[in-house]
Amino acid sequence: MTSTHTNSHTEAAKMEQVITEFFYKSLLIILESRSSYVSSRNYSGEQIVSSPSSSSSSSSSVRPRDKWFNLALRECPSALENLDLCPQSNFEPVVVDVILEQKPLDWGPASFSPTSDIVRNLSSKNKNSYFWNSDQDESGSEMKCEKIIERWFVHHESRKGRDFNSGNRRSSCNNLSALYKKLILMLRSLYVTVRLLPAYNIFRDLNSSGLIRSFKLVPRVSSFVEPLTRKEEVDMQRFWFTPVDTSCGRLCLSVLYYSSISDMSSESSTPMSPQFIPDYVGSPLADPLRRFPSLPVSHGSPSSLPFSRRHSWSYDHYKASPPLVSFSPSPTHSESNALVSNPSSRGLPPMSLPPHPPEAPLAHKRDTNFDEQNLPPSPPLKITRAGTSRTDNIRVPAETDATIEKIFSFGKEDCWKYSGVKAFSNSSPRISCSRSSSRSLQDDFDYSEFPCPFDVEDGEMMDPGSRPESYVRRGNPSDPNEAGLFMNRKSPDAAVGALVRMLEKAPPLRQNVSLNFSEASRPEILSNSVPKQSQISEAVTVEHAAAPNIASFRLVASKTTTDALEELRGYKVMKNLLLSEGGKAYTSSNVASAAEHSSTSKGT
Amino acid sequence: MNCEVCQLKELEVEHFEIREVLRCILHTIVFHRALGLVRPKDVDLELFEITYVQCGDVELEKKIDEKIDHFISWVEKHPNKKSQICLSFYEVKSKQPSWFTNKTERLYWEQWYINLNVTQHPKHHSSKSHHTKLVVDPGESATEERSSRRAMVEASLREVLFQIIKFVNEKKDHVPPISEGVIYFPYEITIPSSSDSAFGMDMIKRMLHSGHPTMLS
Repeated sequence: MTSTHTNSHTEAAKMEQVITEFFYKSLLIILESRSSYVSSRNYSGEQIVSSPSSSSSSSSSVRPRDKWFNLALRECPSALENLDLCPQSNFEPVVVDVILEQKPLDWGPASFSPTSDIVRNLSSKNKNSYFWNSDQDESGSEMKCEKIIERWFVHHESRKGRDFNSGNRRSSCNNLSALYKKLILMLRSLYVTVRLLPAYNIFRDLNSSGLIRSFKLVPRVSSFVEPLTRKEEVDMQRFWFTPVDTSCGRLCLSVLYYSSISDMSSESSTPMSPQFIPDYVGSPLADPLRRFPSLPVSHGSPSSLPFSRRHSWSYDHYKASPPLVSFSPSPTHSESNALVSNPSSRGLPPMSLPPHPPEAPLAHKRDTNFDEQNLPPSPPLKITRAGTSRTDNIRVPAETDATIEKIFSFGKEDCWKYSGVKAFSNSSPRISCSRSSSRSLQDDFDYSEFPCPFDVEDGEMMDPGSRPESYVRRGNPSDPNEAGLFMNRKSPDAAVGALVRMLEKAPPLRQNVSLNFSEASRPEILSNSVPKQSQISEAVTVEHAAAPNIASFRLVASKTTTDALEELRGYKVMKNLLLSEGGKAYTSSNVASAAEHSSTSKGT
Repeated sequence: MNCEVCQLKELEVEHFEIREVLRCILHTIVFHRALGLVRPKDVDLELFEITYVQCGDVELEKKIDEKIDHFISWVEKHPNKKSQICLSFYEVKSKQPSWFTNKTERLYWEQWYINLNVTQHPKHHSSKSHHTKLVVDPGESATEERSSRRAMVEASLREVLFQIIKFVNEKKDHVPPISEGVIYFPYEITIPSSSDSAFGMDMIKRMLHSGHPTMLS
């Protein structure tokens, strides 16, 4: 009796040990085929020699635990070795979730070496509950996306009322050997099955390719898991392994899996996919007032002047801006494309434009500048630079000559624009810039109709030397009415106000040129108020102040006649634009009042 | 002891796919019947996105490859024919020698029938030169057709493998006990002979050896 009791205890202990080892082996098979860097797949070592004579030598290379169920696997994950799978009378179920984890965007190379740590949830009432996770997951990948693509269930269903002690020793022994054989068969089929499921392809690619992937497989072992959603259960397929009867119940093994993983990986990557940021800080969408018009492609330098001017400060502002910012699908993108796509525009300075010396032979560098200076491939880069604040716009004139030369070093036909601008004052480019920055999208995007107060007709531009005179003639001080008419026809007051502000704050481009003009005119400008009538009158005053300096300007202008012609053409475009817009807004009564005002001031 | 028979689903394969398909199926079955101490070896198919498992025995691998070569030779001589490969597991029992039987007999306790339908592409011939011509066959439609066909074959092969797994799981009682030091059970691979009558003679021989009629399901 005592021996029987002892034998039954021995048999029970053996049974428990077999069941425990089955749990361990099944988990090992699952984890080694789902956990990166831990796999018998990487094993290229010796194989077991089949001949029985060498079985002893072969068995010596096999670890004791490998012999269980005659299945020697390469390496046991260290985490699994620490697993507390003590034989228990009640074997709690073990659930293995294979999670497809999408890594965050800021995931760096350091996170490619997953380290697996088991975190035991000692607070849980089930001391076997543990969590297989990687350090990187714990380090705050709040943006990671996880998807359970497989769920394995390993559990022992206890059969109540079954007396293990029943039956003789021989039958128990037979039962144990039969059980062991069946468990071997079950584990063989498990080993094959884990390699046929879709998740294995992901595991294989992660291990073998060596490429950096945006996702990884993370197996998670626990005793208690949240049930899957109804949708997940419907979408997933289940495969049951035929349960194996034990003396006190039966061992069950099953898996829920997605038949197609590609959909899952694409879904999991959705939150992490790169997205265009349309409303980044400084984008035209963020501030409509900063939008830039689509400049006409047929006009070269003058139409590009605003952009050029704008880019002078925006270049510095966005020097370190990330490329992502540039790909803004803003409405101005297409409009600026129209400008950029035309090589004749050449108005937009490339991002990487190096500084040029003032006396550089710009006249012969038009084409080479673009070739050498690595024009940005995408127009949005230019839009980005253009979409800066007005503060930057005003800051432009404070840049050094080298910076300005960066902007205007387009070549022959542009250099006149540069020098002409400088010669005239610091006003014209600033005027255009500020005007376009302050105007609305609708107003600013048609530079062909944007008259410039300094612009002249084509016929008058034939003699660049007479340009200032023609301008003077245009805005003839002797005919203040006409000048006032001209000014009245230009763009709305906001543009004028912006012009004035620019003039106030803009330092001269060149001391020798601007000194006589801008400094003389600046006090008048600063002292003037904003109201439109006074603005117009002050603009006229600026003209008068500029008159004494025309002679000095002539000296400069005569140097590059061709450039002057080009600049005058540009001014013509701006003038037309101003005229077209101003003519609609102002009536003859406004003109008459302006004329009366000017005559009154003359009389005094 | 009954002889459990499993008729696997018929696979429609092309000539160049025979070797990989047969290796995959035969090794998967043998791995399930290699109940001795093994260190499994994972093998990736080149033509399909499938990984199968070998038991790691070099001799076994050689024998299987030899049988596959014989089968391919037979297929080349009998093109466009459905064929069947039989993988049998038996026990060797000693028997009283007599006039018609040997001292030992084989007790087949399990038989697997692998059914193949080797098709040939209309432009595909057994010679290598024609095969080369097929490879350079232009047109997206041909490529798409080939890839879709390849996907179908892969899906069918996967079905066959799951069929093997299910059979192994459902029927365990007929498997003999594991002998000490034995890696895998004795097996026999039977391929079609040059004539059908010869194939039938093989079946009769098996019956004489086994001592009981072969159950065909």
